[in-house]
Amino acid sequence: MKILYFAKLKQYIGKNSDFIEIKDNKRIYEVIDELKKRNKNYRKAFNEVTNLQYAVNCEYVNIEETVKDKDELAIFPPVTGG
Amino acid sequence: MKIFFQKESFLVEEKFKKFSKTNSTAGSIISFVGKVRPTNNKKSITNIEIEIYEKMALLQMKKIIFKLKKKYKILDFLIVHRFGKVKPQENILLVIVASEHRKEGFRFIEDLVDWLKVKITFWKKENYLNDSEWIEQKESDKKILITSN
Repeated sequence: MKILYFAKLKQYIGKNSDFIEIKDNKRIYEVIDELKKRNKNYRKAFNEVTNLQYAVNCEYVNIEETVKDKDELAIFPPVTGG
Repeated sequence: MKIFFQKESFLVEEKFKKFSKTNSTAGSIISFVGKVRPTNNKKSITNIEIEIYEKMALLQMKKIIFKLKKKYKILDFLIVHRFGKVKPQENILLVIVASEHRKEGFRFIEDLVDWLKVKITFWKKENYLNDSEWIEQKESDKKILITSN
């Protein structure tokens, strides 16, 4: 599954995307728990960037949503367009 | 009915003139321009950097436009939103709308810009002389959208 990071989250993690393999369906919070095990950059990013939002295949979802291997998951702080 | 996300700057007068000519039978043509402020919290802004998740922004934009077109009777629109580096006093956003009557156009623009503030996948970072800061979403913007829905 492709995971995209934006804005402050991307800055803290130090890259804009990751690929992870998901054998069974997973909840987004489970994916994040696994990412946090990778290194201190991920832990800092997910602990310090607040009010994160999630999108699966370009649709806003909540952290309880289930994702599968073919999905594109985007994680980002609240948007500031306009 | 066009949507552009672009790095390049644009001339409002040029866009307005062309749009107005295309919609010569409309009773009302209204435009909104969003610009970069020179200061924020008393700090001088060197430039702002706008990051974008383009695929999602375009999809979500098409959905909100579909919804707003059902709500308000409009004839045509043009939306230009810049990304990348933008300097103070430059234009970030342009919305032009053509309708038979003015109220539909004003409401379309107001609803669209309120929505853009809290839903479109764009993020702004302000660069100052010695540091930089990601802009936080305003609670007041979020409340406007919740109230209007």
